Amino acid sequence: MHNIIKKMFQHGTVTVDYPKKPIKSSYITGVPEFYYTKCKRCSKCINSCPTGAIALVDNDKQKEKSPAVNIDECIFCRFCEDACPNKAVLLSNKFELAQKSRAALRATPLLVQDDVVKDLDYELLGRQLKEKVKKFYGKSLNIREVDAGSCNGCDYELNALGSPYNDLERLGIQFVASPRHADMLMVTGCVTRNMEEALIKTYNATPSPKLVIAVGACACSGGIFKNSYAGRNGVDCVLPVDVYIPGCPPRPQALIYGILKAIGRL
Amino acid sequence: MVSEAIFEAINRLLSSHAIESKLLNENEIYSEVTQASIKDDCISIYNNIDCVLIDLFGNDTSQINNSITIYYTFAVRSSNTLITLYVKLDKKSSLHIDSIAKEIPAASLYEREIQDMFGVSFVNSLDSRELVHHGNFPLNVHPLNKDFKANTRLNFEKREQSYTSISGTGVFEVAVGPVHAGIIEPGHFRFSVAGEPIINLEAKLYYTHRGLEKLSENENYMKVLLFSERISGDETFTNSLAYCQAIEKINGITYLPERALYSRTIFAEFERICSHLGDISGLCVDTGYIFANGQFAMMRRWIQVLCEQLTGSRFLRNTNKPGGLRKDFIRNNEKLIIDCLNNLDKEFRETVNIVKNNGMFIDRVEHTGILSNAIAVDLNAVGPGGRASGINTDVRKEFPYAAYSKLKFNVPQHNNCDINCRMNVKIEEIIESISIIRQALDKMPEEGSISIDIGNLKPYSYAFGMTESPRGENIHFVMTGENNTILRYKVRTPSFCNWPVLCHAVNTNTLTDFPLINKSFNLSYAGNDL
Repeated sequence: MHNIIKKMFQHGTVTVDYPKKPIKSSYITGVPEFYYTKCKRCSKCINSCPTGAIALVDNDKQKEKSPAVNIDECIFCRFCEDACPNKAVLLSNKFELAQKSRAALRATPLLVQDDVVKDLDYELLGRQLKEKVKKFYGKSLNIREVDAGSCNGCDYELNALGSPYNDLERLGIQFVASPRHADMLMVTGCVTRNMEEALIKTYNATPSPKLVIAVGACACSGGIFKNSYAGRNGVDCVLPVDVYIPGCPPRPQALIYGILKAIGRL
Repeated sequence: MVSEAIFEAINRLLSSHAIESKLLNENEIYSEVTQASIKDDCISIYNNIDCVLIDLFGNDTSQINNSITIYYTFAVRSSNTLITLYVKLDKKSSLHIDSIAKEIPAASLYEREIQDMFGVSFVNSLDSRELVHHGNFPLNVHPLNKDFKANTRLNFEKREQSYTSISGTGVFEVAVGPVHAGIIEPGHFRFSVAGEPIINLEAKLYYTHRGLEKLSENENYMKVLLFSERISGDETFTNSLAYCQAIEKINGITYLPERALYSRTIFAEFERICSHLGDISGLCVDTGYIFANGQFAMMRRWIQVLCEQLTGSRFLRNTNKPGGLRKDFIRNNEKLIIDCLNNLDKEFRETVNIVKNNGMFIDRVEHTGILSNAIAVDLNAVGPGGRASGINTDVRKEFPYAAYSKLKFNVPQHNNCDINCRMNVKIEEIIESISIIRQALDKMPEEGSISIDIGNLKPYSYAFGMTESPRGENIHFVMTGENNTILRYKVRTPSFCNWPVLCHAVNTNTLTDFPLINKSFNLSYAGNDL
């Protein structure tokens, strides 16, 4: 016991003040950014991108079509950075990327697949729900995590939210064991064929009003596992999604940012 | 040369059946045998040579010879040699083959996988139920056949799945999952329980099957590198390392710059420390020992932050590439690493001391989840799970890669077979890893490049890449196609071997011990399901 108390004093409080104060970000890998003055439009970055996240689009400030990245598909692999001969694309330190709609993450418009159309009604419904959520939950939130076919990177980062450093419970947010206790589902993975039914059942078991967060590139768009016979292209092919957190995997602070965005605290 | 002696021994053993035998990549023996004799040949090799079945997989080679090839890979661990027997099945007429699962029990799961993915049926098999498809796949659709497109959208079917059922007075079934109570991956467990003790467990996995092997087909080898990094999130580096080794072997690269070899060793050991700290931390959570959990989680974060400072990724992604590393990540950061290791070394030893002196904690882990040596040998248990049951196997010693042959380290081994032993193996491995990293930093040459250009891939060549991941022996088979593409990428992770072993280790324990036993193995679902 003496040793335990000694250790506790030795380390003091280790929890970071993340949402209040920004964290040191010099070594963080964030979203790719383009420097259009250096860009020669050689399309090497577009050809090198393994998930097809970079596309030539019309840009308001630029006269000609310029490359831009769809963040929901980006897996932060640095291939574009390596491929660019002019150093016009660099991975920045920006990790706070969560958005309430997928369109906000994209530079090109979303091509809706046949099997996604039914979700349009859900989206309207989801928006109404969000208003209610603010009223209902106040300051406390219970989250149920569902892995729908991730590589477990996102799950480890979600686990890290409970560690002494991030300590999510200080914000009144906790992970619960049953969907029946949950206000929010955090879904990781591209929704595999074998998990689809279980995910829908979990969603139905969660009492309304409920929020759904898609965590990671796979959950946002299918990521690198896009167009596989064994999975869907992201959670919004199956469920209405309220907030998208891109990243591969998103770091714990990016997750906190996304959760706070979902409950409208930011 | 030891491999050559084994090559001759095999040629003698298979004298009448072997169609073709060759010794490739220094230590890989490939022998083609006939469909009629494959079972006898496997058993004669298994009985006459001191080896284990480490891989069994199919490959649709219809582009080359219009057949499906089945490979049986045995490892002679004592003398650094891989033996692969392969048999070509005519695609039109004869997609059936004798099962070897009754004689070599480890083969059973591989056979079920091949049956689902290629439609090859195994005669007299132990178990012929679906493994990957969960009854939602249309019948006679087999994704790894070449005529199946990776982006096919198939209808959902509903076939009832059967489970091993145990009946009797007072026996009941407890079904858990696929969505679990904690933040973990999906899997379904059927416990048959008589009162408190578990008498049978069947684990149904493949919920996170993403079609990784199919997606890798006909893709550029650099894109497949990204797939290999995402096989299992927390084993990013060792998986990509095994893939890179296979590609390097295919292109005949036997020598990499020293700096690359030592850097690879350092990163692989960081990953091991990180993973083991997470496991020990998890064991403490499951026994309700929150102080120790916080301590180990804190140390794990130190390593993760260090990895991020070095490479920009907490999981060591974007670090490896065929031919070396992406950048010289270690240069000018030696002091950072040494400082972190010193802190970790001190803190870790002190915390372990506190934990091991806690009688209540030790009571929970001692004599719980016993995995007998006999089962571990039969099912080829690997990694810390196997080493705690008296199987002394470690790829770093037996098939040395990176710079391991130049460094001094021990492979911890225990023989009590319970959770405590597995925890002790992991604790000792962390201390060994710290010493390995220190040695590697010492020996690493100041000068030199960090990667070499591997050039274009040789078409239609193949090789195995092997690494010791935190969970154990990791085997990647790569066969190349034309224009720098990959024709077949087969991954066998340690989780695939250890899942069936876990189901045996829980027998006679109570249900409440299951999370603890599960955590002590800490198997990856994604790494098994692919």
